[in-house]
Amino acid sequence: MNNKIITPFEASNKVKRSIAKRRAKDNRLKLYGRTAICLAVCFLLILFYSIFSKGYSGFFQYYVTLDINFDRERIDPKGDLSDNSLFDGEASKIVNESLFSIIQPQGRKAKKQAKKIVSSGKDVRIARMVKNDPSLFGTTTKVKFALDDDIDSFLRGYIKRETPESERRISNKVIEYIDKLNKEGRISYEFSDYILSGSASGNPEMAGIKGAFIGSMLTLSVCLLIAFPLGVATAIYLEEVAKKNKITEFIEVNINNLAAVPSVVFGIMGLAIFISIFGMPRSIPLVGGMVLALMTLPTIIISSRAAIRAVPPSVKDAAYGIGASKLQVIFHHVIPLAMPGMLTGTIIGMAQALGETAPLLMIGMVAFIVDVPNSIVDPGTVLPVQIFMWADFAERMFIQKTSAAIIVLLGFLISMNALAVYLRKKLERRW
Amino acid sequence: MNNINDLKSLELTVGDVFSKNARLKARNVNVFYGNNKAIDNVTIDIGSKEVISFIGPSGCGKSTFLRCFNRMNDTIDTCLVQGEITIDDENIYDKKIDVVPLRARIGMVFQKPNPFPKSIYDNVAYGPRIHGLSENKEHLDVIVEESLKRAGLWQEVSDRLESPGTGLSGGQQQRLCIARAIAVSPEVILMDEPCSALDPIATARIEDLIHELGNDYSIVIVTHSMQQAARVSKRTAYFHLGKLIEVGKTKEIFTRPQHHQTEAYISGKIG
Repeated sequence: MNNKIITPFEASNKVKRSIAKRRAKDNRLKLYGRTAICLAVCFLLILFYSIFSKGYSGFFQYYVTLDINFDRERIDPKGDLSDNSLFDGEASKIVNESLFSIIQPQGRKAKKQAKKIVSSGKDVRIARMVKNDPSLFGTTTKVKFALDDDIDSFLRGYIKRETPESERRISNKVIEYIDKLNKEGRISYEFSDYILSGSASGNPEMAGIKGAFIGSMLTLSVCLLIAFPLGVATAIYLEEVAKKNKITEFIEVNINNLAAVPSVVFGIMGLAIFISIFGMPRSIPLVGGMVLALMTLPTIIISSRAAIRAVPPSVKDAAYGIGASKLQVIFHHVIPLAMPGMLTGTIIGMAQALGETAPLLMIGMVAFIVDVPNSIVDPGTVLPVQIFMWADFAERMFIQKTSAAIIVLLGFLISMNALAVYLRKKLERRW
Repeated sequence: MNNINDLKSLELTVGDVFSKNARLKARNVNVFYGNNKAIDNVTIDIGSKEVISFIGPSGCGKSTFLRCFNRMNDTIDTCLVQGEITIDDENIYDKKIDVVPLRARIGMVFQKPNPFPKSIYDNVAYGPRIHGLSENKEHLDVIVEESLKRAGLWQEVSDRLESPGTGLSGGQQQRLCIARAIAVSPEVILMDEPCSALDPIATARIEDLIHELGNDYSIVIVTHSMQQAARVSKRTAYFHLGKLIEVGKTKEIFTRPQHHQTEAYISGKIG
């Protein structure tokens, strides 16, 4: 029987017997897949939960409301609202007087401590208010001031009342003052107007991400403007124009290798070439964007080539067959059909660049820069570097600020990815 | 063009390879894919306003030979064409010849309907646009309408010219591709098994169309179906393993094949 073909009856029996085994295998595979997806979703949820639950408080901070007498003589001695005049004025003193009238500190030392309750940005705040609205002069208005970061931490419960005074960052006196302010209902917990509109600052209560956010935007724009055209052009050349020979093969292998080069190496290269040889200034988004462009080029080239290869040859044949030149085939047919894939690759590359810290440290974008960059040649920093810097600071309040900045960065990333999905859906044509 | 080379190939090919009012002339054409010889010393004339069909078993090189006429083989890196193909006594493989105007003169319809993923209008208008054939928008409209009418598609699509060409049925798509080829006013249309992906009804429509178009254009059609060759063409060429075995009037080829291989194929013994 062994060397004979089995009968249909035997065959159907064997198939029946094997089917249970095959089904079980199928189901097991399905189960593995589902478990993997569930795990991934779980971790993602845990990640988001931990970031958002800890980070959202970074968007809020404690304020104290004080009655400010807008005396033009004292705030704006020259009367022309110029920066000089406002700087010479006594805005801080007015705020302190208003504060003292509530908490009544006795003696020089107590007054010195009391002054520190309100953030040192108080004079800037008053200057900005009168500049925006000069009609405030001569009135007495309630104004909210950020509290100092130590007070903020105390109100959040990070600094405990029970801790012995000598080990606490704020004295019993100050706690007494805060209680007094609290009793009068002058302390409030509100959405911070510094986190989104402020820039780098040594005072955590005044630190914000605006500078870093703008820096990120500028850097990414430079990166996109360089990397996208260059990457797409390279991909088109390699796929459609270049003859397949040893040289193109060599280029191909090296592009793939470049995609695996650690990003910090690109930073060192940027430092050596753009800054040392070309003499460009440090810390500017232009150099940052160029370095990131080099880093994202391989990603863009590889995904663009894949997109170009996916263009059906029948469409190209049709175009050639009707007498289209190579350039016409590329621009009329290949690029429009490959565009969704190329854009997706580019946005993924940009998202990579957005989260990159190491190469930017190399070219000095880690400098402490208070001013918001206005152009690509102004010194600036970027979001991930700002996060990196804040995470390194000692003050308690920077922990929340760091988390808040991480949320902003994540939001930025998610919206970029959403854009990629949207563009792909919109541009994708079916054939 | 009766030189010695012609006579040499005559030894191989049975029947009359020459044509009195020849438009395309192929002389001793060899095609190589790398080291593989796909076409072996083929000589044939294609007359003006003549429908000729190339038949033969799979892999006999009939499609490869067809693609020599508009140099579509150029797009394949490893492909090498030797010999001489002339259109109106101009060698199309001459270095001076630009393939772009050549392909405008010699249109092509492919095996699988391959409309562009664009609107029906844009599909037909594409050729005239890139070659600058129309003076203005109205003229282009006329070209598109006329081409679609000639391809027998106008009635079906006149009210939805802006809808995508890929949304049509297979047969309609193929007629759209024919309209696209006609739109640039070619002299010759090459058809590479245009009906192999279509059902019998759509096939019948395309065949009728080929009949009509044969009054205005030279048409070379590669087909797997002997019945189709018998229905649409006046002349038939039989290819076998890269060689042109026999050329003759379609009627004669199918009724009185002279070469034993042709006879074997016609009677269904090979292929």
